[in-house]
Amino acid sequence: MPPRPPLAELRRARPLLGTLVEITAAGASSAVLARAVTRAFSTIEQVQGLLSFHDPASDLTRLNQAAPGQWVQVHPLSWTVLRHARALARVSDGRFDAAIAPRLQVWGLLPRTAAKRVASNSLLAGRGRSRFSVSRVPACGSAALEFSAGSRVRLAAPLTLDLGGIAKGYAVDQAVAVLRRAGVMRGVVNAGGDLRVFGDVAVPVQVRHPEKTGVFFALGGLRDCALATSALTYSARRWRGQDVGALVDPRTGQPCGHGVSITVWVRSAWLADGLTKVLASSLIELGLGGETGATGSLAAGKGAAGREAAAVVGEMLARYEARAVIIDAAGRATWLGAVTHEFIAQADVA
Amino acid sequence: MRLAPVFTATTALVASTSGYATEYLSVEQAQQAMFPGASLAVTPLKLTPEQVKVVVKKSGVGLRSPVVRVWAVSGGGWFFVDDVLGKHEFITYAVGLDATGTVRGVEILTYREAYGGQINTPKWRAQFTGKTTASPLLLDQDIANITGATLSCRHVMEGVKRVLSIYEIALAATNLPDAAPSAAR
Repeated sequence: MPPRPPLAELRRARPLLGTLVEITAAGASSAVLARAVTRAFSTIEQVQGLLSFHDPASDLTRLNQAAPGQWVQVHPLSWTVLRHARALARVSDGRFDAAIAPRLQVWGLLPRTAAKRVASNSLLAGRGRSRFSVSRVPACGSAALEFSAGSRVRLAAPLTLDLGGIAKGYAVDQAVAVLRRAGVMRGVVNAGGDLRVFGDVAVPVQVRHPEKTGVFFALGGLRDCALATSALTYSARRWRGQDVGALVDPRTGQPCGHGVSITVWVRSAWLADGLTKVLASSLIELGLGGETGATGSLAAGKGAAGREAAAVVGEMLARYEARAVIIDAAGRATWLGAVTHEFIAQADVA
Repeated sequence: MRLAPVFTATTALVASTSGYATEYLSVEQAQQAMFPGASLAVTPLKLTPEQVKVVVKKSGVGLRSPVVRVWAVSGGGWFFVDDVLGKHEFITYAVGLDATGTVRGVEILTYREAYGGQINTPKWRAQFTGKTTASPLLLDQDIANITGATLSCRHVMEGVKRVLSIYEIALAATNLPDAAPSAAR
């Protein structure tokens, strides 16, 4: 038998998904790694092309521009992400919702698109969506997303979706799947805020300070797990005297997540990505966020709304075996969720 | 039954301030990755002040030096190395163009993040020129994985636009080089 080629490690970065995506792959020959990493980048590019809000030819844009009720044929990958979006909106009682695009457009965080063709109100009338009103900018309503066999999707209401909340994580998941199929034993895919580690390796991670650039917090190690962080460090801006950013509570259309960073550990990156949005929308109810940057336990959430939010969020974290940490500007960390086997305490990393 | 959220204590995290640097590819490795098997010849190119003006106007991005780092690829195509400067990040990247001037690939060669204004000093930036993976560099420490607050790749995308403008203005009309370039890679 010819001697096996030595196992190597390869690290590459490309500008994709609006950030720098870094792929580290190890545990195979250099030739295998090079091919696998190239394929993984192509997959990320493919997901980006399908789900880009900016690209006029993307599946997402075609869906957004279609008349309400009109079926749109999409790629199976797009179909899956849209399914994820609706599922997460349902499970979270609207704390995550892809239909927040109009808010982000108003705040200048997404480009304006051609005026939405508004269908007759009858489409809405029969659906009993009392929270939804065409007269104001809709922020909530992934429930109006409908699926049919043959990878077809439609919007039963005049919504504009942005999949920024989960698509980046999904692209990371797809890249990991490609690397594994290509024979890569272990690796890391890091797309800025969304990161996934696979194989027999523990990777130390650090999270940026929510407000001070250049300051990092060590969070511990990651093994066979994904992690996503949402914060407004680079997207925060003023709009008509209000602090706004890429995080918005779909139920109210109000900005959320100021002054903190929210990190979630869970099995897949799209879910980690989405759960950070669920938590961002729930901060005030949970008594965890707000302008004071106060931290406290989930139990500190006041009143019925606080209890309901604690129940919904707690149930989601338990159901997905997720763990979260919310870090405020003073560096205080509030840990939520179960201690799962993927989590390696900082003390054990060093 | 509704599961109660598991709550662990509010803790104080230890903050660390540090720079961050990663070396991905040397110029030679990037050339081989983008144009496998091709030979590349350094093409001396210094833009005239007029060309600089046009490039800046067309791309909307400033140009720090009129000297362009570009290689002609045997069989057609061009390979550029350029860097962009953000507020805290200094990124060296490579762009491959095919014979028709279409982007074939963009690879990050080195990425450095620094704080406290040092990134704006030419001396700080100069220490990284000509580095390869054979001479890895560490700033304060090499941080394996940073998450949170996605850094934009806007500057790199602007840089690619600038490269395309340079190609259009200075190289598109150039006859494609024949094989066997004599200059060193």
